[in-house]
Amino acid sequence: MVIGLRQFMARVGTGAGEPVLDTDNGEELVHVQPSVSIALGNRSPDTPGTLYITTKQVVWLSDLDRAKGYAVGFLSLSLHAVSRDPEAYPSPCIYTQIETEADEDDSEDSDSECNDVLDLSKVTEMRLIPSDASQLDTLFQIFCECAELNPEPIEEGEEGGHNWVFSTDQLEDETGEGDDAECHFHQNPTNLIGHSNGDHDLARTVLELSHFCKNLQLQIHDQRFEDAEEMERVSDSSHHQHQ
Amino acid sequence: MLFFSYFKDLVGREVTVELKNDLAIRGTLHSVDQYLNIKLENTRVVDQDKNPHMLSVRNCFIRGSVVRYVQLPPDGVDIELLHDATRREARGG
Repeated sequence: MVIGLRQFMARVGTGAGEPVLDTDNGEELVHVQPSVSIALGNRSPDTPGTLYITTKQVVWLSDLDRAKGYAVGFLSLSLHAVSRDPEAYPSPCIYTQIETEADEDDSEDSDSECNDVLDLSKVTEMRLIPSDASQLDTLFQIFCECAELNPEPIEEGEEGGHNWVFSTDQLEDETGEGDDAECHFHQNPTNLIGHSNGDHDLARTVLELSHFCKNLQLQIHDQRFEDAEEMERVSDSSHHQHQ
Repeated sequence: MLFFSYFKDLVGREVTVELKNDLAIRGTLHSVDQYLNIKLENTRVVDQDKNPHMLSVRNCFIRGSVVRYVQLPPDGVDIELLHDATRREARGG
């Protein structure tokens, strides 16, 4: 799912106008709250509309304009809270902060005030104002439950810290003699490096490469010893035979 | 799960959570989950000039992945214990 707030226009049928969900991937509707206004950034509230909370995202659809709707995934909701302080905002609401792609310095204020066309991907604050303020605690609770359903996706290999290197001691044991090891390190086949995907594999790649170096050196030492012995035996036996 | 257990022990204490977007929120630690999502109560923003929009909110849910720091009460920290526990956890022990 895209990071940040975005337009949402996919409505079911022509009547009730519920949002189209990604049911193939298990997205389900959790809660519907009618008569909710939405305020993006510092803009005045858009009203009236209906709030749909799903297992993956929060969707607000305008009741008046079928082409107007906004959605934000729970992965992008940094924070949500119940705001009842009239000094903070005139109406009790659910206040949310939205994570955006590139966190710029406070440019969202000027964007939302001056431009008619709002860049949704830069919106960092969103307020949802239900006409029924007694629903705020329920809405907050539902936001919590759905947020918990959306933890950060974990890539394989990160769990349990299996790829972590704790000290240079681990590497020193395996790289052996300095110069030879470095030489092989640079010349190592790039297929090993090509297999790593992202930073979390880097530690494993380093360890694999050092294993590789160690194995190469052992082979070289073995061959040298073998050659010397064979040559000695050969010269001895030939010497004997000639006599 | 080390910090999950650690924070569970701090429920009810005053903490300040600093987010990756520099926002700092002070409040009472209400609960924490395995993803280190944090719920605070009686929250107030630390620097109101920087963040006039939040002011005082009642309950607040902070996504674990956006937390930069959790500032703890000094008497809520046993550094030796944390050192040992984190070393053991990192080694998979």
